[in-house]
Amino acid sequence: MAGLEQQPLLTDGHRRDGRAYEEFRNVFLNTGVISQASGSAYAEFNNTKVMVGVYGPRQSERKVGYSEQGRISVDVKLATFATRQRGVFGQTPEERELSALLATALEAATNLASFPKATADVYVLVLEAGGAELAVAATAAALALADAGIEMFDLVTACSVSRAEGALLLDPTTDEAAREEAGLTLALMPACSEVTQLVSRGPWSSSQLREALELAMGGCAQLDALARQVLKTAAAEAATRRQQEAQRQAQQA
Amino acid sequence: MASPLISAAEVQWITAGVSFNIRNDGRQREDFRALSVQLGVITQATGSARVQLGETDVIVGVKAEIGSPDPDRPDCGRLVFGVECSPVASPAFRGRGGDELSGELARALERSFYPGPSGRAGGVDLSTLSIVSGKTCWVLYVDALLLNIGGNLHDALSVAAKAALADAKIPKVEVVQGEDPTDEPGYEVDDDPQWFSLYLYEPDYEVDDDPQQAQRLDVSRVPLCVTVSQIGAHSVVDLTAQEELCSSASVQVAVDESGVVCGLTKRRQKGVDPSVALEMVEVAQRSAAKLHAALAESLGGQQAQQMSVG
Repeated sequence: MAGLEQQPLLTDGHRRDGRAYEEFRNVFLNTGVISQASGSAYAEFNNTKVMVGVYGPRQSERKVGYSEQGRISVDVKLATFATRQRGVFGQTPEERELSALLATALEAATNLASFPKATADVYVLVLEAGGAELAVAATAAALALADAGIEMFDLVTACSVSRAEGALLLDPTTDEAAREEAGLTLALMPACSEVTQLVSRGPWSSSQLREALELAMGGCAQLDALARQVLKTAAAEAATRRQQEAQRQAQQA
Repeated sequence: MASPLISAAEVQWITAGVSFNIRNDGRQREDFRALSVQLGVITQATGSARVQLGETDVIVGVKAEIGSPDPDRPDCGRLVFGVECSPVASPAFRGRGGDELSGELARALERSFYPGPSGRAGGVDLSTLSIVSGKTCWVLYVDALLLNIGGNLHDALSVAAKAALADAKIPKVEVVQGEDPTDEPGYEVDDDPQWFSLYLYEPDYEVDDDPQQAQRLDVSRVPLCVTVSQIGAHSVVDLTAQEELCSSASVQVAVDESGVVCGLTKRRQKGVDPSVALEMVEVAQRSAAKLHAALAESLGGQQAQQMSVG
């Protein structure tokens, strides 16, 4: 392991896993993976695997004050085996922070007025943390909200960009993020081009920031096309199922 | 946190005022409230500062302790951030009520100090905190206490954190040849001669009590945070608690003295257009320059005074 840490991340315009700088990992998105939930989604970006369940809108389980608008409560948990070092049971401060950042990313896209006084609970479980967890979780959570039939102004897609060894890397892995000079995560409503979350660390000059944001926006647009396709396929499948069910019932009658 | 109430008429008044570039207290959109910084308010702490920004009142105490380094950066020290929301400031913070806010503030502060893979690129060069590489280092606990909440907590905190770090004097540490580790109770040494030699030269350290020998940290690269919020269609800095209730989107931007952005976090419910987001970052860079100048002036004056007294 120590040997690998010394080696450069980038060689001949390629990253360690063979990707180009501005290339995503293999992305797999799916909805309707938890039958108990109002809506659910699963996202896999190679080694980052995230499962999201949305319950509600329903009465809040926590005691919270009155709110005319609906609320989104986000709960992120990394599985204890998700990271290289074993995690702990119960929420860590990092997970609470992820939850807060994710809530901001989703709130702007959700029509909170459509479920006044109620709460939509978004539970995010990171099965494996292989990098860019916040971005993957935001993309998956938005899909799950849409799958739950909650009114949204737009989907949310998110991606991370790392600046390491002088290059901008889209969708960084854990290794790349650990050695980044600076990194940012952007969550975007791609159709109406609105930033719903922007988190960065490390030094960015104005021009670097602009460049990284453009790269991230391009990434978000790519994910958006895929996410919409996934939702359409799921809707078409559901329609076919309903049709078959109706036919069967008609035959029985 | 239970939010205080505001009427629709008040929101309209404040929003209209912002659009005319005159706020309730007479400030313009990019003006800060009066900033007061007092150093060394807690004698027990390695460094401390109390910052008042209008009504907002925070104390940061830095405690330096000897600990072990992060395994990912064995030749660096560590910075640990904590924020405590005291029920003194708001009854909503009783019990675990302040956890969410304190977590948010502490993590954002931590992100703005991101030291990079080498540990040298952040606000504080962590390699200067190393004592024995891979074994011992200084751990600086930067703990903040919120005393009064008058809006714009995060900016006040970042100013207080920088001031407290500037105030901190790290005792001098000398690394000396350790005693034979086999003397230590419960310490087993491998029979392998190669390993044995490694243990034999285990270094030890001595902390110098003399305050004259203590060294100040270099805080010239520590960023300050400016929260830029949207009220109506305008970017506004340093919001009062009332103004915060009128804002739908804000971006916390940590900016260092040279204007480089060191950390970003978007807060609140609404989204913003990417061009607006970049514009907000520019506003933050402009305001941060003023804030850095104001703090430097205050720090310079007080440290000079301390020197003449000491």
